[in-house]
Amino acid sequence: MRRASIVAIVLAIGVLVGVVVTWRTPSSPASSASRGGQLVASIRSEPRSFNRLVARDQTVELLALLTQSRLVRVNRSTFETEPALAESWEVSPDGRVYTVHLRPGVTWSDGTPFTSADVLFTLDAVFAPGSGVVIASALTIEGAPITASAPDAQTVVFTYPAAFGPGIRLLDNLWILPRHKLEPALRAGAFAQAWNSKTPLSEIVGTGPFVVRDYQPGQRVVLERNPRYWRTSQEGSPLPYLDRIVLEIVPDQNAEILRLISGHVDLTQSELRPEDYLPVKRAADQGRLRLVDLGVGPDPDGFWFCLKPDAWRGDPRFAFVQRPEFRRAISHAVNRERFAETVFLGAAVPVWGPITPGNRPWFSPNVPRYPYDVARAQAMLSELGLEDRNGNGVREDSNGVEARFTIITVRGNSAMERGAGALRDELARVGIALDVAPLEFGAMIERLLTSRYEGIYYRPLASDLDPAINMDMWLSSGSAHFWHLGQKSPASEWERRIDGLMREQAATLDAARRRELFDEVQRIFAENLPVIYFVAPRFYYAHSTRVTGGSPSVLRPPLLWDADALSVTGPPSGTE
Amino acid sequence: MGGSGGLRWYVTRRLLFALLLVLLVSSAAMMLTRLAPGDLTAELALRATPEEIARTRARFGLDRGIASQWTAWAVHAVRLDFGDSFLYNRPVGELVARGALNSAALALAALLLATMVGIPLGILTGTRQTGVMANAVRAASLLCLSVPPLLTSLLFVWVAARTGWFPVGGMSSANASDLDWSAWMADVAWHLPLPALALALPIAATLERLQAQSMHEAVGQPFVVAALARGLSRRQLVLRHAWRASLRPVCGLYGLVIGALLSGSFAVEYVTSWPGLGRLTFDALRARDIYLVAGCATAGALFLAVGSFVSDLLLALADPRVREMEAA
Repeated sequence: MRRASIVAIVLAIGVLVGVVVTWRTPSSPASSASRGGQLVASIRSEPRSFNRLVARDQTVELLALLTQSRLVRVNRSTFETEPALAESWEVSPDGRVYTVHLRPGVTWSDGTPFTSADVLFTLDAVFAPGSGVVIASALTIEGAPITASAPDAQTVVFTYPAAFGPGIRLLDNLWILPRHKLEPALRAGAFAQAWNSKTPLSEIVGTGPFVVRDYQPGQRVVLERNPRYWRTSQEGSPLPYLDRIVLEIVPDQNAEILRLISGHVDLTQSELRPEDYLPVKRAADQGRLRLVDLGVGPDPDGFWFCLKPDAWRGDPRFAFVQRPEFRRAISHAVNRERFAETVFLGAAVPVWGPITPGNRPWFSPNVPRYPYDVARAQAMLSELGLEDRNGNGVREDSNGVEARFTIITVRGNSAMERGAGALRDELARVGIALDVAPLEFGAMIERLLTSRYEGIYYRPLASDLDPAINMDMWLSSGSAHFWHLGQKSPASEWERRIDGLMREQAATLDAARRRELFDEVQRIFAENLPVIYFVAPRFYYAHSTRVTGGSPSVLRPPLLWDADALSVTGPPSGTE
Repeated sequence: MGGSGGLRWYVTRRLLFALLLVLLVSSAAMMLTRLAPGDLTAELALRATPEEIARTRARFGLDRGIASQWTAWAVHAVRLDFGDSFLYNRPVGELVARGALNSAALALAALLLATMVGIPLGILTGTRQTGVMANAVRAASLLCLSVPPLLTSLLFVWVAARTGWFPVGGMSSANASDLDWSAWMADVAWHLPLPALALALPIAATLERLQAQSMHEAVGQPFVVAALARGLSRRQLVLRHAWRASLRPVCGLYGLVIGALLSGSFAVEYVTSWPGLGRLTFDALRARDIYLVAGCATAGALFLAVGSFVSDLLLALADPRVREMEAA
């Protein structure tokens, strides 16, 4: 149905000497799809705002995907950067200046022409003090914001404060908003409250495939096709195919799956939980649903100890917790195949670091591995002076301090609770005792942020597949460097090395060199194991067989990220 | 004080009690939410910058001490400004009002259903202690009492999904925005039976058990025996004398039931996606949405007070001894 994006890099001669010109075409769906109809999808929470710049939750992101556009977008199926409102761009040899040519003839859904003034306004809003924008850090490089100017209505020149490896991809975060609608709110200091759920829907305009027609809090959001949408199919016919998308608000995941299986919604916004696979498979066998293997998820579950020395306050256990050998012994002690079977009912693959095979552009298979070997794990623990001296099945150090830890996880998340339980059972075999304490999500995060925990089993989500846009996790000073938060300077030599390598790869323009540097980061990480990863779940997704087109993605939302390529056949769902 | 003065004092006393209840419950809800580990910025953690988290905490008063935050909230609350919700980014008062209205529709349906089923069956089993019918009703009541509404609603939703007889959830259909007023009402009515039944079953069972016990005691009272001796038919005896006398504990229960129903049911509303006060409270608690929790608690306490007041009135209407006692 769809074709991968065509990428061509043209070296301009003469006028553009020394300047790299990039011209790309967006991937476009074929127009054989049926036109019209209504698609019913479920969402789990209310839209907190219709302005993606001031809220970051999944529903707000989905609404932005459906109603707004960016200059470029990352194709969530191919992971390639594609033009969107930007038709083409040129980049200076030093990689700091991007001259972006806007797509001509684009208008907002209310008919107002889209121009470079809208882009400049959006960037102004992002960095305006007190605007409440949550994506500002994603548009800064080494702490300095990107800037822009507009030589004419169709051209925007972005200047980066430093060369940045991901290049134009950075602008995938910049949802372009209409100056004519939101400038008064920005000037009045009310940008964060503008376009909230009380705003008249006629005021919410966009350049995306749909416009919001109705919002009933607690019930649904109704979107209708934007007749002025700029994207067309391969054959030049207007997109989107669908007339309408209804987003039903279904907070309970069990109820959501039941609605999917019974045909009351066409699709959901997340992959299946392991326990949902069988009932969904039955519905798929009966021809009611289409079951899609999305591949390995990009974020694995991880287990880590708090490595902040202050948090242990003289606790003798920190003496072995801080040793990489101790954590390597744990990694050896876990049978990853059995773990996958117990926790994910077999739908998972072993991993040895935070980058899974699901992150195709950045996964490195060449990292140190710790195959299942109980004898070796036991020997390593003995070398650290940990022996079961009193025969109670738990190892102690020479002072009789037991290798016993309390690990916390998210209460109510069945996979997390199963994972923590499986880990407890695996480590009991080598004499490490874990007491599992599932906590309510907010309480667990509070413990994490204040470093008041011994160990955590959780799945921290990366903010982007590109490591340079996920620096907060990698840098020792980062706010998402979760195993040891609040470092003023790198606490260990290996963290100092990772800091240096990450900074270098973020500033490197050569893709191969970036890859080489990040491979080394992954190797150092797997060697020191601040976080121990066991398996990455394989994601399955299901949608109604009446939905066709689109490219399912391992990233959320799996199908609606490309809603303008979707079409439906047969009677509508969700109407009784 | 006697006569209408006594009744006035009685009503004033009840209103003062209601006010105190609302104040205590809402304040306690707010403070407990504040004291519980983690706050509404938890979900932003690891993704937001420290500045963003600080800004959010300041917006919702979490950068201040508990006493200072409570005072500011209470000053606004007396002007019916309950602050903004973090989850919905809109005023709490408006959200609670909408949720309460939806819960009220569900509660009314459930209460009607429970009354229409529970009371007659209670009269039946209270006056006939033996027989297949009475035993079957008692067994059914025990079953309904022992199955929590969470399970019942899950079961109903599953049955609806398998059979297609009823909608699997929500308050209206996906195409509701296209419907005119009357069609919309019919659509809502079509979505009502499952959650209403899930809520009504345990209440009907409770009413049946209470009514049966009370009825059984009433038919043994001397005045009922005397009425029987006067030659009244059994039907007249039961409905005109024994039933009225048996209503006191039943009316007392109504107060609690009305309050609880209007406050919304966490489980039923969540499972059936009914956009009522129960679901709103659940979401608010989960997200530590402090002002929304306080707003929902205020509404819940208010409904409880109203329910209690209504039950007292019903009691006074049903039992002349209560009226006389209050007047004295």
